[in-house]
Amino acid sequence: MNTGQPIILGEMPSLSKLYVNAAAGAARRRILGSPAEAALPPVGHEVRAVLADVANLTAYQHLVGETASDVLPAGFIHALAFPVAISVMNRDDFPLPLLGMIHLRNVVEHRSPALFTEPLDITARAENLRAHRSGTQLDVIAEVRGSGEDTARWRGVSTYLAKGVFLPGIDKASATVEEEEFTAPDPTAVWQLGVDAGRAYAAVSGDFNPIHLSVLSAKALGLRRSIAHGMYLASRALADVGAAKGESFRWDVNFAAPVFLPARVALDISTIQAEGGAWLRSDYVAWNPRSGRKHFTGSVTVL
Amino acid sequence: MSVDGQSVTGPQGAVSPQPAFSQSGLGKAQTPRRAVVVGGNRIPFARTGGAYTKSSNQDMLTAALDGLIARFGLQDERIGEVAAGAVLKHSRDFNLTREAVLGSALSAETPAYDLQQACATGLETVLGLANKIKLGQIESAIAGGVDSASDAPIAVSEGLREVLLDLNRAKTLPQRLRILARLRPKDLAPDAPNTGEPRTGLSMGEHQAVTTGQWKISREAQDEVAYNSHRNLAAAYDAGFFDDLLTPYRGLTRDSNLRADTTLEKLASLKPVFGRNLGSEATMTAGNSTPLTDGASTVLLASEEWADQHDLPKLAAVVDGESAAVDFVHGKDGLLMAPAFAVPRLLARNGLTLDDIDYFEIHEAFAGTVLSTLAAWEDEEFGRTRLGLDGAFGKVDRTRLNVNGSSLAAGHPFAATGGRIVATLAKMLHEKGQVDGRPALGLISVCAAGGQGVVALLEAQ
Repeated sequence: MNTGQPIILGEMPSLSKLYVNAAAGAARRRILGSPAEAALPPVGHEVRAVLADVANLTAYQHLVGETASDVLPAGFIHALAFPVAISVMNRDDFPLPLLGMIHLRNVVEHRSPALFTEPLDITARAENLRAHRSGTQLDVIAEVRGSGEDTARWRGVSTYLAKGVFLPGIDKASATVEEEEFTAPDPTAVWQLGVDAGRAYAAVSGDFNPIHLSVLSAKALGLRRSIAHGMYLASRALADVGAAKGESFRWDVNFAAPVFLPARVALDISTIQAEGGAWLRSDYVAWNPRSGRKHFTGSVTVL
Repeated sequence: MSVDGQSVTGPQGAVSPQPAFSQSGLGKAQTPRRAVVVGGNRIPFARTGGAYTKSSNQDMLTAALDGLIARFGLQDERIGEVAAGAVLKHSRDFNLTREAVLGSALSAETPAYDLQQACATGLETVLGLANKIKLGQIESAIAGGVDSASDAPIAVSEGLREVLLDLNRAKTLPQRLRILARLRPKDLAPDAPNTGEPRTGLSMGEHQAVTTGQWKISREAQDEVAYNSHRNLAAAYDAGFFDDLLTPYRGLTRDSNLRADTTLEKLASLKPVFGRNLGSEATMTAGNSTPLTDGASTVLLASEEWADQHDLPKLAAVVDGESAAVDFVHGKDGLLMAPAFAVPRLLARNGLTLDDIDYFEIHEAFAGTVLSTLAAWEDEEFGRTRLGLDGAFGKVDRTRLNVNGSSLAAGHPFAATGGRIVATLAKMLHEKGQVDGRPALGLISVCAAGGQGVVALLEAQ
């Protein structure tokens, strides 16, 4: 249970160190076995007065197709908060192996804008450990406030799956959800993703997870090729929705099949307007134009 | 007419001046309705290699546009047309303005086009769009301009470019190898843009140095223009004049070239950078010449009806505009002297003289440009032989010149300067209101590469 105040970290954790530590932790776990009691860390982590780097912000905006304004894109804030989130999942008392976890779903409430000049307080905690039909899933909740503010301007819930890991005390998921048949619509865009798309997003987001970097590093973790970052794909879709979404919105994405690089990804964005023309929602779906296999779906909704 | 120049009545000599003021104000006599400046927005201008180093033209234009949209509540609004441009432009930015519109909060159903007339780009977008409004073709428009000297396009050399194009057309391996064999090491050197005139090989500064020498403009007079520019711009910032004309961007809240604490002594200590190899004394320094700058500006224009319907201000009317060009290639006139011809024509057509103008905005490409233009207008012989007048064209009251600073202090991102000046002048005219029972008048003069100039007349609304 999450009861206490978060542990305040003196500085932003280094993602590369966290990944190295995660690899060591995986080896340790293999030798010592999983803990008997399946429970999430009882505390969260917090880093205060985080400042975005403006050169990094501009590079991110150019990469995902955002307007290079002074406002931090919702996906950029996710990347900013990501090391704090990973540091929680890298704690010794975190019951699941960090490396190899699959990002299933991401929901962001972007309540009010933050400028790159504003220092931000970032908290992250893990919650809601539960069964999945093919393993164990949990939510990592990150919240971003203006320094010293009480209410969050940005709240992200990332749902991860540890595939094939079944913890004691957590029941197996009972019913398997029936997948709906997917028929690809006419695309509104087609993305050409080069083999370096993972490295390019790693450079702006700091997420150097080996599954995204190269064929070799991905193979080391059991994938046949490197795959695109889910949040890169979702951030591009968000940028494609454009300025219609305004300053506060809800942005969600459900990841289906991974995008193996290089790839062509077909995308359809459809806009739902109120009577009178006001923007209500944009739904997006992306698929492999050759196989017709669905990569991800999501929506951006007025808050 | 036996004038070896450009007579103020134009080549046809048949344009008769219109009555100066009708009851309803200038311009109404000639046009069915008015085009007004509602307001403007720009981002602070940054010296090259500064705060906007990583920002592209599209980034900066979109930032200026989004600030304008926020200021006047234009979210989701379908604007009649948006026109803007950049002088240093990547070939991939062929649809720069439309792309900026698509990235902005304007309705995606807003059409846009790019325009390029060197440093006059911004002012020409204002005139072209104002004309469409006056003709009733559109009700609202956004004019603008942007330039980045930091993120400048770099092309491959002519040799490499030809090889690459031929390679693309080649069909067989031997053909390809033969084409590749043409490559020489020098072909791999990139081709960066420069400010040199293609036909003369002289940079703009060197051209102006010749003109400055011809008109015998002193170093002290140029430094004084630069000093006034910094002092006036700093005072305008301190008075909050730019609060509703500017949106901060990338950490800048003021133009980074502005030196509020500069002195005539400091300016006098700078070494000349242009005209060092000419017969006359070199007088042009980094202090009295504009630096390379990054930035963007936008201006919202509308019909009076549209402005009223949207409950928006009407600062000034765009009364009239005039373009001119000079034959600078073999030195008949100085490269940047075209406005010296355009302004007399513009004022004559509107039945005005320099004495009728309440504010002059003469773009400070170089302090020497402003002073050479003023000297030409005050010169009897120039007036007689080049303008076809009885004597000198007239004298500009220096207390009415660039009163809130100009390009020497603000910097000059080429295509963005026109929008900066139009928004600034429109606000000044609106604040001035009436003068001697008539609306205050403002004159804009912008010189441009290629020996061109665009000038415009604005009237307080």
